[in-house]
This record gives sequence, structure tokens and C-alpha cells, in this order.
Amino acid sequence: MAITLKELLDAGCERLSLELVWGEEYLERVIEEKAINRPGLALTGFFQYFAQRRLQVFGLAEFTYLKSLTAKEREERLRAILEKNVPGIIIARNRNPLSELLTLAEEYKTPLFRTTMITSHFINESTVLIEELTAPRARMQGTMLDIMGVGVLLQGAAGIGKSETALSLIDKGYSLVSDDVTEVVKNSRGRVLGFANEMTRYHMEIRGVGIVHVPSLFGMGSIRREAELDIVIKFHPYVNDADEDRTGILPAEVDVLGLKFPYYRLPVSPGRDMANMVETTALNHKLKMLGHDAAKELDEKVIGSFLNRTGA
Amino acid sequence: MTTEQTIVREFKVENKYGIHARPAALLVKVAGKFTCEILIGKKGAEVSAKSIMGLLTIEGHQGALLYVQTVGEDAEEAMAGIADLFENKFFED
Repeated sequence: MAITLKELLDAGCERLSLELVWGEEYLERVIEEKAINRPGLALTGFFQYFAQRRLQVFGLAEFTYLKSLTAKEREERLRAILEKNVPGIIIARNRNPLSELLTLAEEYKTPLFRTTMITSHFINESTVLIEELTAPRARMQGTMLDIMGVGVLLQGAAGIGKSETALSLIDKGYSLVSDDVTEVVKNSRGRVLGFANEMTRYHMEIRGVGIVHVPSLFGMGSIRREAELDIVIKFHPYVNDADEDRTGILPAEVDVLGLKFPYYRLPVSPGRDMANMVETTALNHKLKMLGHDAAKELDEKVIGSFLNRTGA
Repeated sequence: MTTEQTIVREFKVENKYGIHARPAALLVKVAGKFTCEILIGKKGAEVSAKSIMGLLTIEGHQGALLYVQTVGEDAEEAMAGIADLFENKFFED
């Protein structure tokens, strides 16, 4: 996923103290390569390798070097960079753009930005921000909860009781991340992060009650801004001959943003306390992650006793 | 008119690892398709074939002889389904 200069500016005006110097009309330009380049070598005239698809940052070193050149050289070197059609140029340390740079930016229709940050700090922060902005994301149907550190996405048809179950779990002391609609994003560590839509965050709709504000009713401990996804649980109406895994030795998997997650299908029927079912599923998953797989251990115990007996 | 019938058969466990979790899950899956009561185990210590935890207690090791009793309308079909699993060694080995 690529982003435009406008998206970077919108997201970065606060976090990167970024402001536009010139090029309002050209902000739809796409940053093709998600990294930042310092054009130090290019300024000396070396172009055998030049990351021209990246944003270019001019810091103290670049400016000091440019100043050491004659006006003619300065114009030539800068032109050579802008000719490459770089997506945009950022000036660090809030320096005033050199007049040559401003003229060339206009000539080559290359937006020019400025930041108060120092170069190395800007490079770090902007790399992180660009990663965030370009991370794979999706909106999923489902309610998300944090159950003792296990991120659970609860799915199921409308009216099956997801929100009601979430409410019971909140009452048990676990935290709500999002109700009914969960935004997911893959972070740079290869984990999927779930969070609520900004607008409806921390609200829930309970049939018959209406919309409630969870932290007002249950306290600040009842909510979490975001959580890493660990398992997906799907509620489905109980059917007798469902093709279900009864032992839990081979849990199914579901794909979220290209990653595989354990997928538990829980049948809903009268008398089944679904909050309890979800809690048990989450805690059992946690136990498995700690290396204790109850289903496998019992199976090994049973097989072991058979093999000893028959002397095999 | 409903016809209640009872069928009793005896099976020998043939597969090497016996009735551990996977075969137990298969038995439960097959048994769950029928409405009749299905009991399985050593004589006098039978359990419902619709219970995984029950099946793991019947000591269904290789060579064990197990009685299966099906009681109900679809007893015959249920017994055929159970027999199929035993005869195919629970699709193991």
C-alpha cells in the first residue's frame, strides 16, 4: 500500500512538526518507496546509486555542504536531484530553503516541506509513521475483547449474543476493545492489532437497552484502546451433526490480513453460558501458548497406557 | 408406529493406538448422527458413545473386546456406522 504526500502531511503535521513550504497542488504525488533518503552523496554528483523514489531529507550536513559550493555548482547539483523527479523534499531543523531549492522545486513541481525536528530524529519518526500509514488494514465484523492478555475477536450472526456475551465478560473483569466492528492493522512486528472505530469507541449497543458507554458504567478498567489479536471465536446456532472438532487437538485456522489465527467455533444453545465458554477458550489458548496442550497431553496419556498394556 | 429395537455386537480394537482422542472424536461424530442410545465398553462398564470423555475411560487398547449396544429407532443404522469405524481401524495405521 502506498501513500500520497497529502496523507503524510495530514498525519505528520503534529507528529513530525511537518509544514508545507511549497507545492499545495502536487500533494497527490505518491511516495513509491517507504523510506527516507539523505541525498548527501548525490549532492557531490554521485548518481550511480540514488534512491530517487524516496523522500529526500536535507539536514545540517547537506546544507553545510551546499554552502561550500559556488552558486553555479549548487544550482547544478540540486537540479540533478530534482530532475530525477523525487516525490518530495523535506528540510530539517526548520531552516529556510535556499532560493535555488525553492526555484527548482517550482520548476520540477516537487513539493517542499519543512520540519523543526533534527534530521536523524525526523528519519526515525517518519519511517515509523509511514509504516503505520501503509500497513495492511481491514474492517472486520466482530466484537473484540482482551481476556487476561488474550486478544479475542468474537464473531457471529446478528442477534446471536456477541454484545451480551461481551457485557458478561466485562462484568467478569475483562476489557472491551471494540463492539461489533473492529478495525485491524498488521504492524511491523507481524502482529495484528485490533481497535475500535474512533467514532463509536467504548460504546456498545445492547438489544433492549440501547447504546451504553462502557467506561461510565463499568469503570476505566473495562476498556482497552487496542489489543493484539490472538484468537477468533465464531458463535453459531447449535446443530447436532456439525462437523466440529470435539477434542481441540486440531483447531481450525482463519486468515486475518494474511496471517493465520486459531479459529474456534462455539455452538450457542440454551443453557450454555457463552461468556464462560469464551473465557475458557481464551484461557485454554493461553495455556497452550505456555506449552500445555491439555487435549494432546490427555491423548498421550491414554495412548501410553494402551501401549504399556499390550507390551508394544 | 415407532419400533424400538436393541442390537448388541462385539468388536475388537485393531488399530495400534487404540481408542485415543482421534478415534473417540470419530465415534462421537458418527454416534451423534443417530437418535438412538449407543453404549460402548467392557461388559458392565459401558459408556455413551456420544461422550468423548466417556470413550477415553473404556480402555480401548489394541486387542480389547468392546461391547456395543444400540437402542432405538435407528439402532440398525447406528450399529452399521459404528461397525464401519471398527472395521476400518478408525482410519489409522
